[in-house]
Amino acid sequence: MKNGPLFLLGLFLSAVVAWSAIVLGSHGQLGGLTPWFDEGEGSSFPARPTGLAARGQLVYADLGCASCHTQQVRRPDFGSDKDRGWGDRQSVARDYVFQIRPQLGASRSGPDLANFGGRKPQAPSSEAVLNLLYNGSALHPAYPFLFETRAIAGEQSRHALKLSGGAAPASGFEVVPSERAQTLVAYLLNLHSAYDYPEAKPLVKAPSKQEGKK
Amino acid sequence: MTYPSIQAAPSAGDAIDRHARGPLLTAIGLAIVWLVLSGIFSLIAAIQLHSPAFLASCEFLTHGRVRALAETAFVYGWAGGAGIAATVWVLGRLGGNPLRGMNWFGAGSAFWNLGIVAGLVGIATGDMTSFSFLQLPRYVQPLLVFASASMGISGLLAWSGRRRDGTFASHWYGVAGLVLFPWALTAAQISLLWAPMRGVLQAVGAAWYVDALTFLWLAPLMLALAYYLLPKLDEKTLPSYEAAPLSFWLLIVAGTWGAGRHLIGGPVPAWIPTMAVVGFSLLAYHFSVVGLNLRGVLWAKGPAGGALKFGIVAYLTFGLVAFVGCFRSVALRTQFTHFASASEQLFLYGAVSMTLFAGIYFLFPKLSGRSWASPSLVSGHLTGVKIGIALSIITLALAGLTQGAMLLNSKVGFGEIAASTRTYLLVNTAAQFVLLASNLLLLVNFWRSALSCCGAASNAEGSAS
Repeated sequence: MKNGPLFLLGLFLSAVVAWSAIVLGSHGQLGGLTPWFDEGEGSSFPARPTGLAARGQLVYADLGCASCHTQQVRRPDFGSDKDRGWGDRQSVARDYVFQIRPQLGASRSGPDLANFGGRKPQAPSSEAVLNLLYNGSALHPAYPFLFETRAIAGEQSRHALKLSGGAAPASGFEVVPSERAQTLVAYLLNLHSAYDYPEAKPLVKAPSKQEGKK
Repeated sequence: MTYPSIQAAPSAGDAIDRHARGPLLTAIGLAIVWLVLSGIFSLIAAIQLHSPAFLASCEFLTHGRVRALAETAFVYGWAGGAGIAATVWVLGRLGGNPLRGMNWFGAGSAFWNLGIVAGLVGIATGDMTSFSFLQLPRYVQPLLVFASASMGISGLLAWSGRRRDGTFASHWYGVAGLVLFPWALTAAQISLLWAPMRGVLQAVGAAWYVDALTFLWLAPLMLALAYYLLPKLDEKTLPSYEAAPLSFWLLIVAGTWGAGRHLIGGPVPAWIPTMAVVGFSLLAYHFSVVGLNLRGVLWAKGPAGGALKFGIVAYLTFGLVAFVGCFRSVALRTQFTHFASASEQLFLYGAVSMTLFAGIYFLFPKLSGRSWASPSLVSGHLTGVKIGIALSIITLALAGLTQGAMLLNSKVGFGEIAASTRTYLLVNTAAQFVLLASNLLLLVNFWRSALSCCGAASNAEGSAS
């Protein structure tokens, strides 16, 4: 290692080869992934998120929601994700092809949200989500800065939160979600991964079942 | 004071250090300020873990943002700033000539710290990138690449212009840390922020960057310091030194293969997590050799020796924990829990920071020509951080294991999980408080000691120019 240039070359080569293998290698494998076209349904999956939802993802990112919530459902036999109702199947790479900044997350102080809009038997209502964001709960912080408390001018806004008890504003006032709150909720309710891609079907048990059907 | 070699060769070191004194001490002083600031953010984040409502209604301090602020100030401000400065000093000492290019270092350090200020303001106002360890907003990242490269120039000049032909382990690790970081940061920001890859590939790229930051930057900087300090402290040659080159190259080659351990069970190609097992099997050799080479640290004396002992033991423990965590059956119980934070703390605080503390306590008297203003503050700081780090890692690990076991049972709700981990998280808050208080002692002591030497430093610079 006395030879300086050779040493530096070795350093860069070692690091670049590892980077190419991991990052460029997986890019080669998945970089060209396209949505899946279902001929039966005549449409492709996943659906492109609505403009409101795409903007909501930026709010999700800038508030750092990913520090407590993941967005990756694991396989039914790996963890309790399915039993908790977070999703019937594991998340696959195709779920994220339209996401500008996927928020996979690394911590579950709160529930996984990958299939938040596809919860069964029914998805949470946007009122319920807005209420949680405004009031918080014992486990979830309140984010009042996403809302505006203002005097009712004429008719009450149709977006105003229906609040009661201590959380209700003074009479003549209303609490209205800001644009950021609305996009955030649109984003959350837009998150669903109900469609079964071929690669999302279980690998282990599938062959025996298919043989039985044949 | 127990700094054995300070009286041994004061004059030679003095001449070498004089030119470097101002820029290096300033860089280290600023790094300590970041350490204290990051401690404040960590304390807030720790409180929010058991009392979610704490300060959450302040938009700048949501849990996500506070964590990003704490992490960024710690990794880039403290560990990076102090690590690069200490490495440049080590390379200068090993080179045997006065450090050259210190203007590059000074300018780089100034822009580095300005970049972090801008970055933290950006994170607090909503520009964080949402990639862990790469939370700095896109617009400050190119600045950090140039600033870190500029700081490294002095180190590289000292290495290429060394008096002796041969090189030491500290040379390899130091140079690797200095040159690979600007490249890794460039590769990560291009593939994640400027020309982002699609979908989950971003998660793969981000996981790679976490391991690049760990094993291609902070670990080499820390080991450069450790391999330099130990022979100085115990005045013995390192045993099994002939194995060190292979151990070094394994770290550089296979260090980032472990990226997949962050993605086990995730929506990524299955070979990525598998490769983590292969990578860490190779790294097992690296960790074993570091342990063999530096085993003398167990008998090291004095404040620097004690801190270094803690750092090396933490580094080896981290290697073991990360290796075990690559396996799916283990990840099932630890993934997405506080255990991941414990393992992160073990590396960043236990290994890197303790080694940096050892380095700072060792190099400050030589670099400044002054002894520490208060020896009792030195021992107070080190005792405090050792207790704080151990307490924080143990409680986070226990909280994580509890959380992991409860997450596996779908009948257990998040309320119950929060209730059973609450005690651990409360103790963790106390540990964060101890850490913050102890690091304040370091800041006060550094400030008081440096204040008396600043006059001398500026005089020296004045006479040099």
